Amino acid sequence: MSATLGVLIQMALRNLVVHRVKTGVVGLIMFFGTFLVVSGTAMLDSIRGSMEKSITSSLSGDIQVYSSEAEDALALFGSMGMSTPDIGEIDEFKPLRETLLEVEGVKAVVPMGIAMATVFGGTEIDRVLSDLRVATRDADAEGTAMRVEQLVQIAERMRKDVAMAAKASSEPEKTQDQLASLDRVLAPGFGADLAADPSGTLDWLDNKVAPIAADGRMLYLRNIGTNLDTFPQTFDRFRLVDGELVPPGQRGILLSKAFYEKQAKNFVARELDKIKKSLDQGKTIAEDAVVSELVARTATQYQRIQFQLSPKDAVIVTERLRTKLGRTDGDLAALLQEFLKMDDANFADRYAWFYQEIAPRVRLYEIPVGEEVTLRSFTKSGYIRAVNVKVYGTFEFSGLETSDLAGANNLVDMMTFRSLYGKMTDDQLDELADIKASSGVKQVSRDNAEDALFGGGGSLEAETTTAGAGFDEFAGLTLGAAATAGALDTTQYTTAQMEDGLALTAAVVLDEGGDVPAAIERIEAAAKAKGLAVQAVGWETASGIVGQIVMVLQVVLYTAIFIIFLVALVIINNTMVMATMERTTEIGTMRAIGAQRPFVIVLFLVETMVLGAIAGGLGAGAGALFITWLNHVGVPAVADALVLLFAGPRLYPVFTSGNLAFGMGSILAISALSTLYPSVLAARVLPVVAMQAKE
Amino acid sequence: MSGIVRLMDVVKDYPLGKVTVHALRKVNLTIDKGEFTVIAGPSGSGKTTLLNLIGCIDVATAGEVLVDGKSTGKLTDKQLTSLRLNSIGFIFQSFNLINVLDIRQNVEFPLLLQGGLSKAERQARVDDVVDKVGLRQFASQRPNELSGGQRQRVAIARALVTRPAIVLADEPTANLDSTTGTQIIDLMKEINHQDHTTFIFSTHDEKVMKRADRVVRILDGMLEAAGLSESRGPSESGGEQVHA
Ligand SMILES: Nc1ncnc2c1ncn2[C@@H]1O[C@H](COP(=O)(O)OP(=O)(O)OP(=O)(O)O)[C@@H](O)[C@H]1O
Ligand SMILES: [Mg+2]
Repeated sequence: MSATLGVLIQMALRNLVVHRVKTGVVGLIMFFGTFLVVSGTAMLDSIRGSMEKSITSSLSGDIQVYSSEAEDALALFGSMGMSTPDIGEIDEFKPLRETLLEVEGVKAVVPMGIAMATVFGGTEIDRVLSDLRVATRDADAEGTAMRVEQLVQIAERMRKDVAMAAKASSEPEKTQDQLASLDRVLAPGFGADLAADPSGTLDWLDNKVAPIAADGRMLYLRNIGTNLDTFPQTFDRFRLVDGELVPPGQRGILLSKAFYEKQAKNFVARELDKIKKSLDQGKTIAEDAVVSELVARTATQYQRIQFQLSPKDAVIVTERLRTKLGRTDGDLAALLQEFLKMDDANFADRYAWFYQEIAPRVRLYEIPVGEEVTLRSFTKSGYIRAVNVKVYGTFEFSGLETSDLAGANNLVDMMTFRSLYGKMTDDQLDELADIKASSGVKQVSRDNAEDALFGGGGSLEAETTTAGAGFDEFAGLTLGAAATAGALDTTQYTTAQMEDGLALTAAVVLDEGGDVPAAIERIEAAAKAKGLAVQAVGWETASGIVGQIVMVLQVVLYTAIFIIFLVALVIINNTMVMATMERTTEIGTMRAIGAQRPFVIVLFLVETMVLGAIAGGLGAGAGALFITWLNHVGVPAVADALVLLFAGPRLYPVFTSGNLAFGMGSILAISALSTLYPSVLAARVLPVVAMQAKE
Repeated sequence: MSGIVRLMDVVKDYPLGKVTVHALRKVNLTIDKGEFTVIAGPSGSGKTTLLNLIGCIDVATAGEVLVDGKSTGKLTDKQLTSLRLNSIGFIFQSFNLINVLDIRQNVEFPLLLQGGLSKAERQARVDDVVDKVGLRQFASQRPNELSGGQRQRVAIARALVTRPAIVLADEPTANLDSTTGTQIIDLMKEINHQDHTTFIFSTHDEKVMKRADRVVRILDGMLEAAGLSESRGPSESGGEQVHA
């Protein structure tokens, strides 16, 4: 038997040498196929490993437990869809926490909730108007004149924008109205109007002019409510960047550093940061079109600095800019424009100067650390809630600093989460019952119940906004009195008060090296025994968009592997069919002198599989070498999203014997599969053809 | 019932499009063990067809073919193959060696298919037959390095290595010059004498026919009447064959 196999392999090898071209073509495909499988699966496994590190240690824990009544899948890092997914609710966190902590292998349980909120960042015009109010009230003629001048400049810019937008507007009347309002500001008599009736004119400006610019000045925050006392210990990638941690028992928000830098920062500063990043990557303003356009655009935004400077600071900056640029005259606008006209030679200097001289004098961040901020959210019933919280600091997850995905979430305490989420507490429900009883109103629906409770002064018959209303409506409402935030809540809460009550999920951290699927089973069994309607999912599923990215990568990889193997299958099949036809005499002779059909089948199978083993072995080896090389140099996370996948700025992939075995196994399987038909064809060759052979 | 090969009323038809070619028409033939038989006839007369049936690489349309006591019409492909492997040796007109194997491996090949022998036993057998055909010094060369006559010797060695009851050769000299052809026939004859192996081969070469113990003549798929078509006698007296 072994002697026969020996001869078969020898025949296979020699046939491979004889049919060099066929061997070369088929071998090359096999080589690439195996190379792709080994290096691809090694990369994917490495990414999955690094992703596990970054996700489990930053936000999700190993397992997420949430309501089994959820309509949608949990997506901690956000989902592909636009709407907020319905992941159900956990009405009482306490029993769930107690149950989970009893499960074998569970190290920690942290409550979580997801709530979206907006922060009204305010526009330049808002700031100018509020400064103008102060100036007119104080009868500060100089300040008033300066603010009016700024207002006119803003109105000019806005008029251009509106006129441009008017061409495509579906509401010509509205744009006409807006243009008329702006024209009044731009008219020569406006200063006199203001002087004649300061408060009336200012109200008119607030109601008519400010809203024109209101669009797009909203900052959207994705907040994860959690136990802020235990979070930093449980998730060891957490690192405070600015400010301080929220003191134990206090309400507050910690902003993601990435969000803070990319969304909340002054536009000009943000653009300068972007340019610096590009230049740090080795690009130049002179040669890179994207960067040079960025520089050009930044220069046009000088007003975003100009209008933020107080009159006193404006004078100082004007003076210093003159010195800096070597000018004897020129107003602030002109100087700023010139300053922002940057090239490769002066960028570093201007950048440093900006942060040294200008940044401290403007509102560098829309939401400054240490200040109070009003978070607004749509509750589930479409009502707007407003909550005031203090911004204690900013944080990042170490290794994931540049990842937008990792930085998409801000952290709030559970109380604030519950307010934003809009679920009524028992107390509030009682209060609602009282209102109902005392007011004698016919019916308080669940929809307008919140209105009754939170709608500062609004009557019970107040209209309720419908869920999913557009943001225009939202913007309009924020200007009115519909949602007032109330005073900052500085009550000292206990851990129980913070944790117990509504949560959306429980993040479960397992003991070191815990088996996730097994723990999920144990958790679901324990929850079932206690009658808790929850489900448990692993970090990969729970992470949402990120898990989907890995899935997409997986699909792409397996599709590529599938295609290359399909091509291999077809080509090997075809060449082997041709080989069969060329070799009918040889096959017929073997059959005539006593070879059974299975022998012929094995002969052909062995031939392709020997080639598969050699070419596949080389491919697998090359794949392993390639991964080793990548491990040496590191794969840079070129896109921000990759930082999260790579758990840092570079991925150092490794391969396992499993990757090699999978590569070899699949190429051998493909070899066998592709030779099946040709070898059966060969086995059908009749022994008589041996007799018909001609030299 | 004697005879290592017996054909009784054997008919072989080949369908060829709409017509049927009657390659063999009611052939009756008995060949005894140890005979050195020539099937002679012009081109298209049915020699190869006859050898195919005897060699179990094809089956008759009608009639019965008995090889080594087995009726081939009743056997499965597997059984036929095994009968070929164990009872029959083949020598082809075009030698039909496996080009990627060397001479020794070509000769050893049927033994590997048979299995059962140890490496040493196989080695001994191969050496024995390779010696017999006088190719010892070429044993590790590849077929395409040899001349036609040498290749046919390899084929003979391969046919003999399993010690078959019957060796079949379809025009074994057709691709050889006449001197070499004669040498090949002489070699076969010598082996026939020494080992009493039954040889059946076809030819239309008169010179080859003269070396046979027995000449079976075939024409249009029919054997010429016994006594007329067949002649028996020592090859030495081949020239005195009665012919019609
Ligand atoms: N596979 C086949 N299909 C159709 N007809 C065939 C087939 N094989 C042989 N024949 C026909 O059967 C007849 C006998 O052919 P066979 O090959 O047995 O003759 P032969 O005596 O060996 O001739 P040659 O000396 O040319 O080899 C011929 O008429 C031939 O055309
Ligand atoms: Mg013939």
